[in-house]
Amino acid sequence: METAEFDATLGGTEHLPYAANSFKFTASRSVEIAALSESILKPSKNKLVFQSLPVHMRRRVMSHNSKRLPRRLRKAHLEQLKKSGQPPPQKRPSRKHRRRPANLLDEYNRRQNRNVWLETHIWHAKRFHMTERWGYRLPYAPCDKAFRACYRGSSAHCLMQDISYYVPIQVKGPLDEIREMFAKITSSLCGLSICAKAYVSGCRQGNIHLYGVNTYPYNYIGKVQFLWVSSNNDDKTLLLFVHPSQVKEVESILLDIMPDQDILREETFKKRRKVSNIDIKIMPSSFNRFRLTGPNSHAILVQSLKCINNKSLKNDKWISIHEPQYLQEKEEYWNSIMNAGSPSQLPPNIVVGLVVKDPRLSRPSYRTKAKLNSDSTITVDTLLTVPSFLSISPLWDVKIHEAIKEERMSNGQFIKHVTETQLVPGVVNEDDPAWHSIPIVLIQRPGSQKSEYKKIGYGSGWDVIVPSGYALPFWLTFIMFGARSGGLRESESVAFETGECYLPPDSNAGKGNEKRIEQELRDKYFRLPPSKRVNYIKLGINSPFNCPWNILLSDWSNQQINEYYILRNRVLLNDIQDCITKKTSLPNIENATSCLVPVYIKLVEKGSLKNHAQICLPESSDLSNIKTLFEPHHNDSNEKIRKLNRTAHIEKLKKLRKRNMRLKKKKLQPVQKKARKDIRRQPSEYVLKTRELWLPSKIETVRHNNSRQVMGYISQGAFSFTEACSCGIGYIAYNALNTLLDSKHNQVLVRNTTSRKYRLANILITQNA
Amino acid sequence: MADENTQTKKEETKKRPKRQPNKNYALKKRLPVKPIDGENVIFITKKTNFKAQLDKCCDLITRGEKEIILHGLGAAIQRCCNLALQLEILFSGTCQIEVNTGTVDLVDDLEPLTDELDFDSQVRHSSSIHIRIFRTAMLGANQ
Repeated sequence: METAEFDATLGGTEHLPYAANSFKFTASRSVEIAALSESILKPSKNKLVFQSLPVHMRRRVMSHNSKRLPRRLRKAHLEQLKKSGQPPPQKRPSRKHRRRPANLLDEYNRRQNRNVWLETHIWHAKRFHMTERWGYRLPYAPCDKAFRACYRGSSAHCLMQDISYYVPIQVKGPLDEIREMFAKITSSLCGLSICAKAYVSGCRQGNIHLYGVNTYPYNYIGKVQFLWVSSNNDDKTLLLFVHPSQVKEVESILLDIMPDQDILREETFKKRRKVSNIDIKIMPSSFNRFRLTGPNSHAILVQSLKCINNKSLKNDKWISIHEPQYLQEKEEYWNSIMNAGSPSQLPPNIVVGLVVKDPRLSRPSYRTKAKLNSDSTITVDTLLTVPSFLSISPLWDVKIHEAIKEERMSNGQFIKHVTETQLVPGVVNEDDPAWHSIPIVLIQRPGSQKSEYKKIGYGSGWDVIVPSGYALPFWLTFIMFGARSGGLRESESVAFETGECYLPPDSNAGKGNEKRIEQELRDKYFRLPPSKRVNYIKLGINSPFNCPWNILLSDWSNQQINEYYILRNRVLLNDIQDCITKKTSLPNIENATSCLVPVYIKLVEKGSLKNHAQICLPESSDLSNIKTLFEPHHNDSNEKIRKLNRTAHIEKLKKLRKRNMRLKKKKLQPVQKKARKDIRRQPSEYVLKTRELWLPSKIETVRHNNSRQVMGYISQGAFSFTEACSCGIGYIAYNALNTLLDSKHNQVLVRNTTSRKYRLANILITQNA
Repeated sequence: MADENTQTKKEETKKRPKRQPNKNYALKKRLPVKPIDGENVIFITKKTNFKAQLDKCCDLITRGEKEIILHGLGAAIQRCCNLALQLEILFSGTCQIEVNTGTVDLVDDLEPLTDELDFDSQVRHSSSIHIRIFRTAMLGANQ
């Protein structure tokens, strides 16, 4: 049987070599190998990497999660992802990894780079909507729907806010020089000056309006709270608490008006070291300040703050640096005012410096409402006198801050100490030498003191100033005693309810705030589909999201006005109030053309007021037929143009699309995708043009835009719970008010931006604008 | 003689304005010291709607409260009396009224208007009325 064998040894024809040369072997196949490996690394164009795998090796989310691919294919896969435009998603480290203390702290420090955090930030971040304002990350409003609850807190219980973002500025120097300095940037017409006898003793906190250097009444900066630190020597210390939106202005102005350094140097050559007598120091985040509003805030403080007397004085480190004084007397005073039902029964604006035990000791185990023991009532004598030693506090001494912070017991240490030392479960030995005592300062706020204007005592409360590092222990204790926490929204609403303007529009801070609100509202407006947008042109409103004070004043004075101010002269405001009630014409004042009068507006009948509503001048027949008084429909001439533009734009888009399709068919790359993406971020020319047609940005007149002349605007309007009707805080041009009173009226018309209805409202002059 | 004296006094008081405005101080009021508060204690004000407060009292009594206490201060005394009398008519026969009057010390703050002056305070007296309305018979007893 003959078989066709190949090998010679088996009877075939071919003689095989004894050895194979591997180099030769591979070299001859190198082309094949290269082709194979290339086809693996760079798979054919219409296949993805993971598609090259056999079916049994494929996994479900391979395209998203590269870890599911065999390792050798991952690189190619990632490259492919990059090409298709998606960046490869980075995997978040596991929660366990992230929550490790060191990593968590790193993360927190990283996040604090952009904005400053308050000490209670983490507590707030879990419960509040946070916003970025003035370089801080601040709580805006609680996550639970608590608008009414917060009002109820401020009127009947206790509302607490962390206002540690107020920046303390320390001014040190001789009293006369400070007086001279502040004479340049304040006006005696607005109220008591900073060096008034009532304040210099340090017993009371005061408020003052700051202006630019010798520019009163223009260049308003803001309202600043101040208090004098009581000391015996000639050099006095003044503490200003400045809102963060005004800090930079205040700082630069204070440095400007410091007595000139160069002149001093020449005059007193010997005193060269002490260049200026006045020393200004900005101390952000050196104190924590909590604002407690409402009658129950007193009970909360009484329950949570336990005074220390001479006997129980510990040898803390800070006590050795600065010995606290009058401890016994202060404890007696604190005990004597314990039974006050509300902070508004106490002397207004008093400053109380106390040294208290660690607040964690008095914390209840579950949330309870602090109540006063109602057995005894407070005697009138204690309410009348303010002892002079009361305001003295070691807290103002900057030297002790370090020591307090160093010795601070962290929560963990505290609990550890309690569990180690307590003999009876649930009972903590309050006299344990391990606990530290803390100096704090309480400042009373009187709230409303005029019954004609607001119910007496609304907005009253305590401000608690705590050394840095101790924010959370105090905060949690107050919370556990029933304080309700609020954010920035509550600051606004409390200011509204008390009839104050929160950031007045003639200050830079107020202007910035208005601009921010305008931008937010505009964005929101243009996010709506056109059919859902209010057509403000048809309503005859040309500035729905802001109040153009400049144009308003220019219209009422027939001249261009760039600078304007809000009237804060107390005497004049009282006179104007008299004029309004008596319907007599206003007195002549300086700079009347650029003057805005702050008014509190109260609707006579039903209706609601919103922000940016117009205040209009009534005509004599309006009062009788107010019920049928509507703004007539305005004609929107832009509507047609918008429609034409839109059709043209759609046509253009269609053409473009068709051209692209044609190009695609010819296998020519149409427009690059990346370039188009960048353009999309900014609104296109067409969009900008349409927006301009919806809301024309060029406003020439606001006064004669409607059937009724516009006198002013409401900067904040809403339903007021204290008045049980819609109220608003607004500003009226002085000349407009004069015209109103000349026509023997003292009521105005008000119209919301989204409505054609005019409503009748009463006006009151507000003193605290 | 005595009559004449009182008459002249009356005329004088009429001529004199009620409270002289002081050029140096602004008068600020504080919250009056409140008596013991509770669920059955109602402070009558001039601002709150009369009907609302009447309804509140009715609710309290019908709910089975043994007694309710009304406090009125100054100008609200008349309202307080009216309210109590209305209640007496509404719950005729089942409720009785006990009236006490008194004086409350009110503290006013004098806020200086010039730099040279310090804060001051003064005590003002105001009349007050405290009416206790209590049950004598159960509400359903008459019918």
